[in-house]
Amino acid sequence: MLKRLVFGAVFLAQPVMAEQLLVNDALDAHILPRYEVLAESTAHLHDAAQTSCASNAPDLRQAFGQAFDGWVGVSHIRTGPSEENERAFAIAFWPDTKGFTPKSLATLIRDQDPVVQDPVEFKTLSIAARGLYALEFLLYDPAFVSEAKEGYHCDLVKAITTEIARNASEIRNAWQSYQAKLREPSPDGPYRDETEALREVYKALGTGLQFTADARLGRPLGTFERPRPKRAEARRSQRSLRHVEVSLQSTYELALILSQTELDIRQSLRLAFDRAFELAAALEDSDFSGVADPMARFRVEVLQQSILRIMDILTLELAPALGVNPGFNALDGD
Amino acid sequence: MKTVTFLSGIALLATTTSSFAAGHASKTDVLTNYANIAEAKYADSLTTAKALQDAVNALVAAPSAENLQAAKSAWLASRVPYQQTEVYRFGNTIVDDWEGKVNAWPLDEGLIDYVDASYGGATDENAAAVLNVIANPMFELGGTTVDATVITPDLLENTLQEADGVEANVATGYHAIEFLLWGQDLNGHEAGAGARPWTDYAAGDACTGGNCDRRGAYLVAATDLLVSDLMWITAQWSEGGDARAAVFANEDAGISAMLTGMGSLSYGETAGERMRLGVMLNDPEEEHSCFSDNTHNDHYYDGLGVQNVYLGSYTRIDGSVVSGASLSDLVAHDDAALDIEMKTKLADTMKALGAIKHQAEAGFAYDQMLERGNSNGEALIMGGVNGLIDQTRSIERVVAALGVDAIEFEGSDSLDNPSAVFE
Repeated sequence: MLKRLVFGAVFLAQPVMAEQLLVNDALDAHILPRYEVLAESTAHLHDAAQTSCASNAPDLRQAFGQAFDGWVGVSHIRTGPSEENERAFAIAFWPDTKGFTPKSLATLIRDQDPVVQDPVEFKTLSIAARGLYALEFLLYDPAFVSEAKEGYHCDLVKAITTEIARNASEIRNAWQSYQAKLREPSPDGPYRDETEALREVYKALGTGLQFTADARLGRPLGTFERPRPKRAEARRSQRSLRHVEVSLQSTYELALILSQTELDIRQSLRLAFDRAFELAAALEDSDFSGVADPMARFRVEVLQQSILRIMDILTLELAPALGVNPGFNALDGD
Repeated sequence: MKTVTFLSGIALLATTTSSFAAGHASKTDVLTNYANIAEAKYADSLTTAKALQDAVNALVAAPSAENLQAAKSAWLASRVPYQQTEVYRFGNTIVDDWEGKVNAWPLDEGLIDYVDASYGGATDENAAAVLNVIANPMFELGGTTVDATVITPDLLENTLQEADGVEANVATGYHAIEFLLWGQDLNGHEAGAGARPWTDYAAGDACTGGNCDRRGAYLVAATDLLVSDLMWITAQWSEGGDARAAVFANEDAGISAMLTGMGSLSYGETAGERMRLGVMLNDPEEEHSCFSDNTHNDHYYDGLGVQNVYLGSYTRIDGSVVSGASLSDLVAHDDAALDIEMKTKLADTMKALGAIKHQAEAGFAYDQMLERGNSNGEALIMGGVNGLIDQTRSIERVVAALGVDAIEFEGSDSLDNPSAVFE
C-alpha cells in the first residue's frame, strides 16, 4: 500500500541498515562528542567567572570564546534535548531583531533585580537576558562593561554563566537517553524508522548551512544599497567571521559522515567545503564591517554563494541518494 | 456515497467529495478545490475589508465612540477569513511576495503616529522608528525630503512601507490599521488592549493627540489600500488568475506547495516565530495583534487554515461550505493509517489553540499568558506550540507518502531553479 513514488527505486536499493549506521555514526562522531565539548567549555566558563568576573579579565574572555566556539559547533543540532525546557534558546538567543538583549539587560541593571541571586528564578527571565549573546554585551559592549570585581554586573555575569553551564550539562546528560530514540527508531517514538531518524540528522546539516548563509552572512550583507554591518553576529567580540568558520567546520564533519557511502557526492562536498574554507580564510574581516565597502562586500557575497553551492549538493544529490525527503525546519517562514 | 469512519473516541470528518465516492481523488481535483478555497477565502477577506472600509469612512465622517467601536468590530471580523488564508503564503510565490503589503508585523508604530515615552526613540535597527508621519507633513527619510502634506495610498505603499529598507517600518495593512484604531497597548502584562480615544479623530478643539484630520486621512488611505490589495489577490485566484494557474503548472509541485504552506506556517512561523519566541521573551509586544489583544484568534485561525487545506473544506463567512477533493483523500488512498494520524494531529492542535482562545475570551489575556513566571499561561501557549510541531512531523510523512519531494526551503537556490528539483 505504502508508495514511495519518487524515491522508490533508490530506497529499495539501499539496505535498511546503511541508514541506521549513518545515524549511529553521526551520534558517535559528531553529536555526542560536540555536546560534550560544549558542556566542558561552558563548565570552564562558569569556573572562570567565579574566579574573575570583570569584563576585561583575560581568563574570562578566553573561556567565553571557547564556550562560544563550543556552542557554534552544535548550533545546528536542534533536536530533542536542546529543545526541551528552552535550553538551547536560553544558551543562545540570536538574531535579536528588536534589540531585546540590551533592553532586558539594562532593565535588570537599572532595577538591580535580585533575580540574579536565585538560579531557579533566573530561569523565568526572558531568554534575551540570558545566554552567550547577553554575556557578550556584558563583556564587550561599552555601555555594559565593568571592571569591578564585585557588585551587580559581577553577579549578573556569574548568574548567566552558571545557567549556561547548567543548560549545557543538562543537554549532554539528556542525550544519553535520547540517543536511543535515534538508534532504535520505533513506531511509538518520534522517529518511526531509520529513514525518519536519518532525515532528522540530515535536517541538522541543512539547517546549519542555511543559518550561516542567511543569518550569519545574510544579515550583515543586507542589500547592496543598504548594508547592515551592525547586524553581524557577535560583532562586539569580533567573532562574526569565526562563527562562520566554526560552523562550517562542524557541518563539514557531519557532511562527511552522511556522505560516506556516496563517494562521488562526498568528493563534490569536499571540494565545495574547501572552497568555502579558503574564501573565509582570505576574508580578514572579523566582524564583517567591510560589507559597506563594495570590494570587501563582494568577498563576503562570494563566501555566501559558496555555502549555497554546498546546500545545492545536499538537496539535489545527497538527499536523493540517501532517500531522505526534505522536511521542515525552524527557519521556514518569514 | 459518504464514507464515515469512527475510531475509538475520534469522529473523523465525513468525506463528501463526489470524486472520492466515484473512485479516488486525482491531483487535479485536489488542486482545483485548493484554488477554489483560496478564492473563497480571499473573497471573504475582501468582503469583510469593504465592511471595515465603510465603518472607517463613517468614523472619519462622524467621529464618535460608537463609530470607533464599530470600526474595531469590523476589523476583528475581517481577521477571521484573512488569517485562514495565511496557509497559502509559503509555497505560493505570488502570495508570499504580496502578503507583506497587508499583514506585515511586527511594526515600529512610532513611524505612523504618536507613541508613549516608554516606547523610546530611533534604534540601531531603525532610524525612522519615531518618525510620526501624522504629525509631520514634511520630513527627511533615508536622506531625501518627503512631502507628506497629502496622505495617499501611494505615499503609504511606495514611500513609507519598509522605508529605509527596514521591515519594521510597516505603513500599510491590517496591523497599521489596528494601531490607528486601538493605539498602543500600554497595559504591559495586565489585561486590556490599546485605548485610543475616539477623540483622536474628532474635529476642532475636541481633537486629542493632535492632527486628527491627518490621522483620519491616514486611516482612510490605509483601508483603501487594504481593499485594493485584497481585490488584486482575489483576482489572482479566480478563473484565469496567475496564482491559480501556478498551482497547475506542475501537479506535484502544486501538491508540494500545499504541504509547504501547511508545514512552514505550522512550524517555523506560528509555533516558532510567533508563539514560542513570545513565551521565551516574556514580551507583551511579541503578540501578533498586540494593539487589539486579538492574538489568540490569529493563532486559532492560522491553525484552522492549515486544517482546512488538508481536509479540503472551508466554511465561508455566510456559512456556506466550499469543499471537494482533498489531500486527505489522496493520503487515505495510499495509507489510511497515515491519513488518520494526520487528521488526529490537526484536531489535537485545534483543541490546544482553542484552549488558548477560550481562556483569552474568558478574561485571561494573551499578554498575561506571556508574563515572566506565569506557568499556566506558558503551559497553554506551549500546548499549541507542541501541537503544531507534532503535526509538522506528520506533514513530513505525508510528503514522503505522496512522493512529492520538492518542499521548498526559503532562501535556498533550489527555489530559484525549481526545475532542478524535479530532474
